[in-house]
Amino acid sequence: MDTKKFEKPEYFVNRELSWIKFNERVLSEARDKTIPLFERLKFISITSSNLDEFYMVRVASLKDQVHAGYDKPDIAGLLPKDQLKEISRQTHELVHVQYSTLNRSLLPALEKTGLHLVTEHELLTEKQAAYVDKYFEENVYPVVTPMAMDSSRPFPLIRNKSLNIGALISKKDNKKGKEVLEFATVQVPSVLPRVVVIPSEKESDVTVIMLEEIIERNIGKLFLSNDVVCAHPYRIMRNADLTIDEDEAEDLLVEIQKQLKKRQWGEVIRLEVEEKIDKRLLKILKTEFDTKDEDIFYINGPLDLTMLMKVYGLDGFDAYKEPRYTPAPVPEFQNEKDIFEVIREGDIFLHHPYMTFDPVVNFVRQAAKDPDVLAIKQTLYRVSGNSPIVAALAQAAENGKQVSVLVELKARFDEENNIVWAKKLEKAGCHVIYGLVGLKTHSKITLVVRREETGIRRYVHLATGNYNDSTAKLYTDCGIFTCDEHFGEDATAVFNMLSGYSEPKKWNRLIVAPIWMKDRFLKLIDREAEHAKKGIPSYIVAKMNSLCDPVIMSALYYASSCGVQIHLLVRGICCLKVGIPGVSENIHVRSIVGNFLEHSRIFYFHNGGSDEIYMGSADWMPRNLDRRVEIVFPVEDENIRKELKHILDLEFRDNVKAHLLQPDGTYEKQDKRGKALINSQMEFCREATEKAEKKVKKTEKSRVFIPAEPAEDME
Amino acid sequence: MAITTFAAIDIGSYEVSMKVYQLSKKSGLKELNDVRYRMEVGRGAYTRGRLDMEMVDSICEIMTDFQRIMKEFGVEDYRACATSAFRELVNPIIVVEQIFQRTGIKVDILSNAEQHFLGYKSIAANEAGFKKMIQKGTAILDVGGGSLQVSLFDKDALVTTQNLKIGSLRVRERLKELEKTNPHYEELVEEFIRNDLTAFQRLYLKDRDIKNVILMGDFLTDTIFREEMNDNIITRAEFMNRYESTLNKTNDMLAEEMDIEPDTASLIVPTMVICKDFMDIFGAESLWAPGVSLHDGIAYDYGEKKKFIKSAHNFENDILVASRNIAKRYSSGKSHIQGTTQLALTIFDSIKKIHGMGPRERLLLQIAVQLHDCGKYISMGDVAECSYHIIMSTEIIGLSTQERQIIASAVRYNTMEFGYYDALKQELGVDRQCYLLIAKLAAILRLANAMDRSHYQKVSGLKAVLKDRELQMVIDYNKDISLELGLLKDKVEFFEEVFGVRLILRRKRKI
Repeated sequence: MDTKKFEKPEYFVNRELSWIKFNERVLSEARDKTIPLFERLKFISITSSNLDEFYMVRVASLKDQVHAGYDKPDIAGLLPKDQLKEISRQTHELVHVQYSTLNRSLLPALEKTGLHLVTEHELLTEKQAAYVDKYFEENVYPVVTPMAMDSSRPFPLIRNKSLNIGALISKKDNKKGKEVLEFATVQVPSVLPRVVVIPSEKESDVTVIMLEEIIERNIGKLFLSNDVVCAHPYRIMRNADLTIDEDEAEDLLVEIQKQLKKRQWGEVIRLEVEEKIDKRLLKILKTEFDTKDEDIFYINGPLDLTMLMKVYGLDGFDAYKEPRYTPAPVPEFQNEKDIFEVIREGDIFLHHPYMTFDPVVNFVRQAAKDPDVLAIKQTLYRVSGNSPIVAALAQAAENGKQVSVLVELKARFDEENNIVWAKKLEKAGCHVIYGLVGLKTHSKITLVVRREETGIRRYVHLATGNYNDSTAKLYTDCGIFTCDEHFGEDATAVFNMLSGYSEPKKWNRLIVAPIWMKDRFLKLIDREAEHAKKGIPSYIVAKMNSLCDPVIMSALYYASSCGVQIHLLVRGICCLKVGIPGVSENIHVRSIVGNFLEHSRIFYFHNGGSDEIYMGSADWMPRNLDRRVEIVFPVEDENIRKELKHILDLEFRDNVKAHLLQPDGTYEKQDKRGKALINSQMEFCREATEKAEKKVKKTEKSRVFIPAEPAEDME
Repeated sequence: MAITTFAAIDIGSYEVSMKVYQLSKKSGLKELNDVRYRMEVGRGAYTRGRLDMEMVDSICEIMTDFQRIMKEFGVEDYRACATSAFRELVNPIIVVEQIFQRTGIKVDILSNAEQHFLGYKSIAANEAGFKKMIQKGTAILDVGGGSLQVSLFDKDALVTTQNLKIGSLRVRERLKELEKTNPHYEELVEEFIRNDLTAFQRLYLKDRDIKNVILMGDFLTDTIFREEMNDNIITRAEFMNRYESTLNKTNDMLAEEMDIEPDTASLIVPTMVICKDFMDIFGAESLWAPGVSLHDGIAYDYGEKKKFIKSAHNFENDILVASRNIAKRYSSGKSHIQGTTQLALTIFDSIKKIHGMGPRERLLLQIAVQLHDCGKYISMGDVAECSYHIIMSTEIIGLSTQERQIIASAVRYNTMEFGYYDALKQELGVDRQCYLLIAKLAAILRLANAMDRSHYQKVSGLKAVLKDRELQMVIDYNKDISLELGLLKDKVEFFEEVFGVRLILRRKRKI
């Protein structure tokens, strides 16, 4: 497979810019008038938290590169500083759209529903103002700490991501005998709710105000003897991540390590201020934070829109929210049977959140109780706050099972949380392993070893998503249960490897990154290309979160140029371009952004008619393929293969939530005129519920009355 | 106990590893887990005869973890074996005790012969084709860290097995200094091992026609030939390709390519040179690499003992054939040995009830008979001592060092006056159990040997019946046996002393 000629920068999109496109698609959901109003609020909130994370991780990393003097272009030929420039332009545009959507479309619509969001305290009624002032005195005043800056007090440390109010206060300079302006700042306390409900004029309405507006209104009370000239909220984002992002190239890591001293810890990389901020105040902030113009965002509305999630959570307004979906039971488990017995009858497929996550939790719970279970092994990447799985594992250890848990401490933003429950597991007697140095363990696998009459039997659960019962209600993920010995052996080998033992001599079924996976995918792609060259029908269908591995993309270009039809479902970043003549005419990319976060990874290869389907935890990104422990596994059960083909098929027919990537790099929804509307996520909900109900009916029909046996004679 | 789980641990020269098996009568041996940890235990052992404190610590850590893994599979029994690295230690017993106290794992140090016997059991365990293959001339080559073992098979039996102390780790350590100044490292290695190789060729290989060469793999050979091993066959062309490309690479390059430690990578060239030279002397066109390990042998052996497995191949026979070949080398009279064997086994079987020995001891007796005369090759006058020393310095496949000691001693006291416990203990350091075994074997050997004193096989049949405390022996004879009977007297005394039965001899002349 010669892919050299496909490795030109003009064939690729910069990954950051592609990510911004993704956030635009999320934002477009907020602009979609067919979506219930409160759901649209939620989407705005998501774009906001997405953007925060993007800045903290990606923009911070690019800044590091610039400081380190790293000047290698990315796959699209852009230097770090060019990327920053373009990111700044595009994120400013994104934020602009965000606020115009909020102000022009959502806030007026909220008004109509009876929810009043007071964006400026000047608009409060007298009664409300009195309420707010009382609220301030009783709740806010005791916890705020105003800080001033003058010749004896330096500029205070402003915490990363915190919301603050900056003020200019006028003081009398006794020496000069005239008024001087001094800077003061106060942090909007994060311990208090950001959204405060206040009395409404109409009984049936709900009125809310932002906490910072309450403080702003009462700011005079914080600086009693002085005049407050102006007060405006601002927010900063720092380059505070101590680790270097794993997405970066190896040589960059080396470079940055060398330059570590030059790295500017805590550098402010973004400053958000109110649009109508006082120029003098801005000047102080700009100087003190050493911010460049392109890193300042002038915001026309409340800062930090993640608070809209709180607004979404207000009681009432159900008519403006999508009805909450309750995950359906898994048909195979709708009976009284022991979970292991059910798995012995055949592989079982799970599709979350359409189907409930309960069987996965039960799997571990049952294993903890079952007297024949010898050992439980599991990888944990991100778990929910009060995880029933962690509790079950601890219980198992207390019941004398051999429990090994791989806890990935490096899961982004979750480190502290992870350490806490890792210690808890250790205390319970679990064997806790922390993975391999330099490699994040991202694979999702559980192994239960059980002693049965016929010998040792291994039960394996493999999945595309984390063992997190909370996110399983929001992320679309797939998983299987199997007791196929080939998987069992491989699962044991995975845990050996994660415990620091040598890799196995061969794998039966699993494809494991970082060593074997990329080559395997390349071989699979190449095989399709070979078929295409011989005129045999050939196609690839792949679903993933992100696509940005240059080697895989070149291989896909090569395959496309050989005539392979390639259909990709990429939710987030996609650095590949479609429709380049002779390169990617046969590649089609679509992205589904819906109520649930598309998260599963499914790979289909036609293989001249004897098709192969894989699922797993890995995206086609360098970090997944080269720097993580990931598992992709073949699906062999005929029924499950059918299910997966159905999933892919339905998602490709989605014409409500799917955005199609255009040759010019934009994403567009398809023209729905004259077509039956298909919203794949809704369809899956319906199907799963139907299946579960059918099963209940069936069992009801087949119910027989069991005659009671006479009591056994007592001896 | 229809099904059980068993763990086999191997503390090798550069890898500490464990395999967990499930054993059942129905499906034999089934591997459940294979854990391997790279650790150059051999490094300190070969150069200084000692292990660093850190090394012992790491071994203990791994053993503790192995204990945990055993529990995961509900392992009911295990066997931990250490090989050449531990054999080279000056203080092996101390290290083994330390490991036991700290981890609860009892480590057996395998003699070279035991190790390779188990190794070759593992091939038999894995390959149905093995029995067919060894009908023709077959060599098994096992390149380890400390030494290499080469075994020759013909007509379904082991012909010879030799241990050459030119294992890869040892070669590397010995040539370490020279490597720096010599640009052609491979030539250096070739020269270093040439002497041993030609000696082997001259003494053992002769003009034997070797059709098949089996490469017993370990982690290193498996790594080197990872690509070629898909079909388990490495052709000479494949081998030479790999050989040429390897020589031009630095250790760092090899390490990266094969994803191993640079330290381990430095063993690749010595290993390949050794393999190449053997292919040359065998004139082999291909190597067969079934990819088995010592663990398989340990588990197979355990399975045989616990009657989970019944082998198609008679391994005891291999041990016998091997000892017969040793006897042949020292020109022992074939017919005398055959005759004596018959007699000895008849005696052994007839007093089963009172001697308390089992099939393994019966095998030892057979070997003792095979080898009881070998010392004559060196000195007619001092047969006992010479036989003893020959046996002690000849490897007999499948026997532990202790078993070899027992045989050698039994042979020694066949003709020499028996030394009693205190003397024996002092001289040989044997324990009570061994002492008794030596005495029993020697008593039977003496009696049987004396009956064929003239080496004419005059006794054509022997019937022995145990009645109460009397052993009645009816001797068929076709020639005058007055010589034998005359000399039998003091042998009988010893026999009676050891077994506490009265021996009654009856003659029955054959016409």
